[in-house]
Amino acid sequence: MGKYVLKRLGYVLVVFLILSLLMYLVYAMIPYDRARAEVEQYKTIYKNEPEKFEAKYQELRKELGLDQNVFVRYLGWIGVVPINGQYQGLLQGDFGYSYTYDRPVVELLSEPMRNTVFINIIATIIALGITIPLGIFCATHRGGKRDTFIQTATIVGYSIPTFIMAIVFIWLLAILLREGIEAISGLDLNIFPVSGMKTPGSAYTGIQKFLDELHYMALPIIVMTVGSLGGMTRYVRASMTEALSMDCIRTARAKGLREKIVVYSHAWRNALIPIITLVIGWFLSIFSGSIMIENIFGLNGMGQLYIGSLNAKDFEVVLLIQMFYVIIGLLGNLVVDIAYGLADPRVRVNK
Amino acid sequence: MEKKQNKRPSGFTRIFGRMFLGNAVEHTVENERYDSPSKLAVKRFFRKPIAVTALVILLAMILFVLIGPILMPIDLSYTETLHTNVAPNLSMMSLPSEMKDSPVSITSQGSFSLGIDKDGGVHTWGYYYSFSKNPAKDVMNIPEKVQNANIVMGAAGTDHCIVIAEDGTIYGWGENDNAQYGKDGRMLGEFPQPDELINGKIDVENVEQLICGDQMTAILMKDGTLYAWGNAMAKCMNLASIYKTIKTDNIKLTKVCFTTTNLFGITEDGKFITGSNKQYDFYQGKNTQEYIGNRKVVDIASTGDSITLLLEDSELISLGSIAQGPQIPEGETIESVSAGARHFVLTTKSGKAYAWGNGALNQTDVPKALTKEGSVDTVFASGFQNYAFKDGQLVEKWGLRGYLMGTDDLGRDMLNRVVNGGRMTMTIGAVAVIVSSIIGIIVGCISGYFGGWVDLLLMRVTEIFSAIPFLPFALVLSAILQGSSLQEDTRIFIIMIILGLLSWTGLAKLVRGQILAEREKEFVVAAQSMGIKESRIAFKHILPNVVSVIIVSLTLDFATCMLTESSLSYLGFGVKLPRPTWGNMLDGCRNSIVIQHFWWRWIFPALFLAITVICINIIGDTLRDILDPKSEVEK
Repeated sequence: MGKYVLKRLGYVLVVFLILSLLMYLVYAMIPYDRARAEVEQYKTIYKNEPEKFEAKYQELRKELGLDQNVFVRYLGWIGVVPINGQYQGLLQGDFGYSYTYDRPVVELLSEPMRNTVFINIIATIIALGITIPLGIFCATHRGGKRDTFIQTATIVGYSIPTFIMAIVFIWLLAILLREGIEAISGLDLNIFPVSGMKTPGSAYTGIQKFLDELHYMALPIIVMTVGSLGGMTRYVRASMTEALSMDCIRTARAKGLREKIVVYSHAWRNALIPIITLVIGWFLSIFSGSIMIENIFGLNGMGQLYIGSLNAKDFEVVLLIQMFYVIIGLLGNLVVDIAYGLADPRVRVNK
Repeated sequence: MEKKQNKRPSGFTRIFGRMFLGNAVEHTVENERYDSPSKLAVKRFFRKPIAVTALVILLAMILFVLIGPILMPIDLSYTETLHTNVAPNLSMMSLPSEMKDSPVSITSQGSFSLGIDKDGGVHTWGYYYSFSKNPAKDVMNIPEKVQNANIVMGAAGTDHCIVIAEDGTIYGWGENDNAQYGKDGRMLGEFPQPDELINGKIDVENVEQLICGDQMTAILMKDGTLYAWGNAMAKCMNLASIYKTIKTDNIKLTKVCFTTTNLFGITEDGKFITGSNKQYDFYQGKNTQEYIGNRKVVDIASTGDSITLLLEDSELISLGSIAQGPQIPEGETIESVSAGARHFVLTTKSGKAYAWGNGALNQTDVPKALTKEGSVDTVFASGFQNYAFKDGQLVEKWGLRGYLMGTDDLGRDMLNRVVNGGRMTMTIGAVAVIVSSIIGIIVGCISGYFGGWVDLLLMRVTEIFSAIPFLPFALVLSAILQGSSLQEDTRIFIIMIILGLLSWTGLAKLVRGQILAEREKEFVVAAQSMGIKESRIAFKHILPNVVSVIIVSLTLDFATCMLTESSLSYLGFGVKLPRPTWGNMLDGCRNSIVIQHFWWRWIFPALFLAITVICINIIGDTLRDILDPKSEVEK
């Protein structure tokens, strides 16, 4: 097992290096010159001296390492090759610098990541709480009218893109519900705020702060939960169906066990294995956040930071987040495989 | 009795069937046994009502986006400022029945029309969106005192109406924030409604003309006195100079008209008055006034940005954006010219009608019946509609009926955009799926078939590609494309390829796995032992078993690619406006105001996209159930 994990880790490293080179090359293709942008501020100083301005530009290029070959720059970014006589790369713990925020990228990430993880964990827990019973119900009533209905509904659920679902929920919950309450009771309650992270100007602490954030994130969380219901229900149903068709279930039924025990004690345990791996994979992906949801609701999360940086041409941030996504994806696969092996002794991971 | 008779034969057939052909149920099973797998699959597919419904809807949708753009070609630069955010309605040309018999006037500047019938009644029809949500400011809402009064004249502006009652009272209603009527306006321009017209009365007999423009109103008296008021600062910039001309040159106006920014008139002795405006000073390379020379201008009409002058010798002078007049046969005498918001209509002495100008909303499509002599004597060209009358009776009407799906913030027809956007979304989805399938099938086949180090290498490549975070990477690539100076069409094509390049890994793994599994099966071993050629085994024995997987994957990937395109376009990284797709049409609908008030702007593209994707997914899902041999065993 240890050997297998090591082997896989080595493999992850190789893939990461290949991908990071690929990404770096892609970013190098973006027609954007950081030195040109930086030198703009000297334009007034060297107004009548174009040679000095040009010299300054070249100096900046050198300083930023832009005069080097793209592969050298890549190695410099990793931290194997010195840029301007200094080792400053990922290996040295230098993850880049954001020019729009004027801060190291790492400092920039903590707040968005906290928010992203927060909404993702809540949404996943709620979604699991709904989908597991629903999936079991569908599997045990397979082929029935209710199952067919739920199956069709789940197709509808995973077919509707997040942004449409978000618009519909904003319309239903933030507009119609608000108008309805206002019409009935005369109170203008903002139950589901459409954008923002907290009450503007508030300085809550502790539990009050948490509740306030929950209040503001309620709508995104609902949309996320509903958005993931379709796929997860189908997954639970599929693994439960698989488990119910096992020989041990037939044996259990032949023994005359009660259906409840057969389903929840025998079948469910077998169905749990793929579901656990799914959940683990899910929990890893929550760090990467949801670009669409954060963009629509204006949440300060990883996805929003990514889009914002992309629009602001702040490519060191973009590159780092992208590499973060890659690592999360690769490690996620690895963890799922290992978890599978641990949960189900029949699976030989090193095969 | 009839029911019984109907039922009996079917019972007979059943008994007959059982006697000679065996049990009915067994019969179908026997049939299936001899069918080829594909035939069987088709049969089983058509036994599922949901899947069949989905297929029908999807086919209808595909036909809709394939044929629609041919019928409704898109003009990317088209906008219509007078029809922004119009809700779905088809009532813009529904003339009230009272108006069909010798109406006094029909006027319109935008999406609603105002009509005065011969009995002094006032009617409004069409559509108006009142931003203030104040019923008193809703121009469609005719005030009670106006309804009770006997109205003899009326005109509609873009957001207000002015009518004159028989006793000389002037009523105004609708929006009045820009001094359209009364004294409540914020008076942006220096031309408020004159006090004597608010509190006093007007001599109805002496009124020559009442006309409304965009937030402007003018009343011209028979003695040449001009009253004009409204948002002169923005909508009638030459008004002060017109007043000055009247005073200094001592002229007497006989007819005036508004463009969206100015007022123009003609005088008693046939002069064309422009005030300080120099916009229309040149006609066919000459100074307009010099070109007219000594000839008299007898009629004037104006659309939003162009003017047509009718000279006494029946020559038409078109100034502004609509430069080309109609082809009128020699010897025809023009009776009068009237103007809609974007087009002109003229009637000839012989009783024919001609229309010209911007006909994007069918305003210039004069019905065949009106090209005959003596078919028409009056045409009310108002806004985007035309009503032709002969001896006081309505003969024909043509123009814009309304918008089935409303319009967007730039006044573009949503139906047109949904149709054309659908074509774009589906094309991108289809091309992306084809690209990804070709790569996926080739990689999967080679990998599964050759095995060994080729398999190892290709699978590592596949894994690297599948480790790329999809949406972020697609975003970066389209950001790169945006920076380049590529043509929009090329850029869209590259986006299709990129989407394909990023989504082939799943299919490749699937095909490889399937081929590996099939290779080991007994029928392949049997075929090999019979000495059948390797290539024949590959294509005749293995491929058919893989095809089902490919078909299912193709269907489901098509839906995914459409969604990805929409998401990219929604985030502003895919197809750019003004070119529509179902995704970027929703881009402008992200704020609560649009979601709440202009529901038609998001509900139609969202509905079409959702329904299409749902149908494709249902079909793909059903296909998987049918083609997967395991699912049958479980049943």
